[in-house]
Amino acid sequence: MTGALVLLGQLSAIAGGADLGGAWRGVVDLAGGPLRFAMQFEGMPGAWSGRLCNGPACDAFSAVTGSGDSLTFEMADYDAAITAVVRGDSLLGYYRNVGNRGPRVIPFRADRGTWPVAPAGPRLEGSWDATFDHGTRTSPRVFRIRNGPTGIEAAFLANSGGYGLFWGSATPSDSFDIGHFDGAFVYRLTGRLEGDTLRGIFHAGLRTQTPWTAVRSTGRPHLTPPLEVTRFDTTEAFRFAFPDLEGRVVTEADPRFRGKVVMVNIFGSWCPTCHDEAPTLAALYRDYRDRGLEIIGLAYEVTGDTAIDNRQVRRFRDKFGIGWTLLLAGLNDTEATQATLPQLQGFTAYPTTIFLGRDGRIRLVRAGFLGPSAGPLHQLEVAEYRATIEALLAEP
Amino acid sequence: MMAYASLRRIAAFVAALAIGLTATLPAQSARDAALRERAAYADWLMTGATSPYAVLVQRPVGPGLTLGPAGAQIPLPGLSAVTVTERRGVPYLSVGGLDRPIGRFRPVPVEDYRLMVSGRAGRAMLTVYGPEARRAKPPVYHDYDPAFDLPVVLRPPARPATKRLLAADGLEVEAVDAGTVEARLEGSVTTLQVFRIPDPAGEESELEIYFRDLTNDLPPGEGTYPAGRFVSLIPLGGARYRLDLNRARNPFCAYNTAFACPLPWRGNSLPVAVTAGERYAGGGLDPAR
Repeated sequence: MTGALVLLGQLSAIAGGADLGGAWRGVVDLAGGPLRFAMQFEGMPGAWSGRLCNGPACDAFSAVTGSGDSLTFEMADYDAAITAVVRGDSLLGYYRNVGNRGPRVIPFRADRGTWPVAPAGPRLEGSWDATFDHGTRTSPRVFRIRNGPTGIEAAFLANSGGYGLFWGSATPSDSFDIGHFDGAFVYRLTGRLEGDTLRGIFHAGLRTQTPWTAVRSTGRPHLTPPLEVTRFDTTEAFRFAFPDLEGRVVTEADPRFRGKVVMVNIFGSWCPTCHDEAPTLAALYRDYRDRGLEIIGLAYEVTGDTAIDNRQVRRFRDKFGIGWTLLLAGLNDTEATQATLPQLQGFTAYPTTIFLGRDGRIRLVRAGFLGPSAGPLHQLEVAEYRATIEALLAEP
Repeated sequence: MMAYASLRRIAAFVAALAIGLTATLPAQSARDAALRERAAYADWLMTGATSPYAVLVQRPVGPGLTLGPAGAQIPLPGLSAVTVTERRGVPYLSVGGLDRPIGRFRPVPVEDYRLMVSGRAGRAMLTVYGPEARRAKPPVYHDYDPAFDLPVVLRPPARPATKRLLAADGLEVEAVDAGTVEARLEGSVTTLQVFRIPDPAGEESELEIYFRDLTNDLPPGEGTYPAGRFVSLIPLGGARYRLDLNRARNPFCAYNTAFACPLPWRGNSLPVAVTAGERYAGGGLDPAR
């Protein structure tokens, strides 16, 4: 411990006046190698703002704080932060968040500049059905690899939905190294084409490494279709009773929902996929509210501390300009969620969206969400949302 | 499992890719990373709301537990009458006539305390975190010694298997047999059993070794925790790993007797004094508390 303090002291002493402005190439050093991302800062000493980008997909740091050359980039949505000292034209420090068994600390470094654009060759592009090997069991994933303005990017899909945009580099010999880092997800995917098979390693967090293989998607479903994940009770109206952000309990009997088509969106402010989904919900609410659509967001949060959870959900509401009803439903544990919603069976995914007809009964339940990173699949998903809403609005 | 040769090929190309892309960035040394992790861990131990030092009691929920005023199964000064039960695999918390389900692995504030239910369905375990300022001893460590940073090769088990065992936090988990490594120290060669321990609240996992050595039986202050210590393998690609015994850490029972202590893993005994990693200076909590 003393050694680490001495080290930090030395770094602070070396650092000169910090001008953070401009583009930075950042990595967090996982055991299996660096997970890359980009950062952009503007402002002036004492008043910096910044954002973190996975290829073309960027999110603002909630705050950039610090004194002298010691800086903290906060990711308040996920109660995480990067702390770094400036050393010449480099940043050196660590990313940190806290789990039940202690802190997760991953070395971080950055230097000035932008990452080279390294696109995927034609043999890598397209949809791949992947199988993860967990030793005693396997599980399915789907990768959709394509090229964007910043090089290779990919949608990473699981039964619980999309994991956000993966971005990185590929080589002419059809190997690739892509990742997604947003403060909550720390994921890196490396692989290469051998004959007709992709083989590689999925890196999660600092040390978890899962081998996988993938073959070109055949068109047959590899993942469980999103409408088949969650079963539900259609014999009576969907019931709920949860407090809103002002502490008033809201139930299905509230006049604002009577005779409406209702989307009940199970989400959490901690869930990156839910951040991907919110703009789509906002567009749907804008387009269909006057025709009889209501949306209810049921927030399942991390701490169980009402004041903290309330603050995080308000932050989420303000970030996306949400005008629909948000209720604090409980904790982000699938069993606890299941217990608060006894009319659902097999709930596994955040987000999950329940579509209610004008009679208040469940018509269908859609697990997960394919965000913009899924490209055409995202467009298809949004089109399906619209078709479902149109059909339900047309019911007598 | 994927063939070893194939894993090695993947590791080689990944390493080549990584070097090419980050040649201009200064990497932090393994020693720096270990010391930084150690400092963050010590800070969490001393100040974290859910640090092992903050735990008052850990007990199976069984048919239900009452907490609060005198006469409760777990008396807690200043707490209203609280009941924790597990019904159909779901933990419930009852306070003041309100009965609500609570998630596993999520500490729930109840008045001045925090309650957390963990363990698998049907075997729920309640952990109670207290409100008081802690007067605990900070963890103590041997100086970092690169001689205890060993390269090892993980040999997979003959057949896939799982085993229920206690993780470092005293909670039962379904661990996956990950095989063995050979630790070479001071001329000795010891085969150590490795298990993959899942993080029950997430997608990550750690390859863990629970081991003993000649320092466990020294008197408190001179040696290390008597039951043994945990260390996580650091992947280097393919079947190659670093076994950095400087990262050896105590099970939570070393900090607080509220935790169950994992039984030593059979055969995982090093015939040398591992003067690296966390030491043990006696009970973690100040007895005056």
